[in-house]
Amino acid sequence: MRPDTLRLVVRAYRVMAFTTGVLVIVLCFVGIPLQAFAHNLFIATYVGTLHGFLYIVYVIVAFVMTRAVRVPLASWRTVIVLLAGTIPVLTFVVERWVSRTYINPALAAAGVAPREHPVLR
Amino acid sequence: MSSVAPRSRWRFVISPRWLAWHAFTILAVVGMLWLGDWQLRRAEAGNALSWAYTFEWPVFAVFGIVFWAKTIRDEAKPRQAAGGEATAPGGESGLSGLPATAGQRAATGGDEDEHDPELDAYNAYLSRLHKQVRGHGRAHGLR
Repeated sequence: MRPDTLRLVVRAYRVMAFTTGVLVIVLCFVGIPLQAFAHNLFIATYVGTLHGFLYIVYVIVAFVMTRAVRVPLASWRTVIVLLAGTIPVLTFVVERWVSRTYINPALAAAGVAPREHPVLR
Repeated sequence: MSSVAPRSRWRFVISPRWLAWHAFTILAVVGMLWLGDWQLRRAEAGNALSWAYTFEWPVFAVFGIVFWAKTIRDEAKPRQAAGGEATAPGGESGLSGLPATAGQRAATGGDEDEHDPELDAYNAYLSRLHKQVRGHGRAHGLR
């Protein structure tokens, strides 16, 4: 993979991780309590649907990213990265872990300085 | 290097590790289709939100199959093809100048110009270690 492509893939992954991560937190900590206790379905419906569709994009981007930075093939690590987009807060933890363990070394090996900052640090 | 009889490169698909992955894939795909069916029943019962999920679960089931197939294909690829990206020769950090060990050279057939996946992995490992210890000991005036 060319360094430019690698950087693009990593950036797409970080954007999608941040987006789905925020949506799932809103859904679980605002939408579902509102639905359960106030019978207000607005957030659960719209944020839920939006997260559902963006998660499809997240899964594709995250899978391509795991291949690009050589997360071991057929490993639980790949599964965890893909599932992280559905579990509150885990997205951010996993993004940090993947950055440290795979993305930064892969960027360094491709001769790309990891000059962009991760979404969360 | 002893000459081993050329085994099929697809042999790994019947290894215990991969049989477990096949089982996991089947379970996951069946489970996702079942969830899609459940959402369809909920949607037909009048839950409008379930229509979106009705179409989503089969999509995830397809993803499961595609990722499984792609991973098998990648695993079957010869190792040399996996690390053959052309980066600017020597244009990176000083780490790329590390000489390969005799074992590594023998393993890659002594081709020095070829980008060595083992050396790349080693360099990635070094830079990872470097990142991990960067800033350590600063509080003690060591750096």
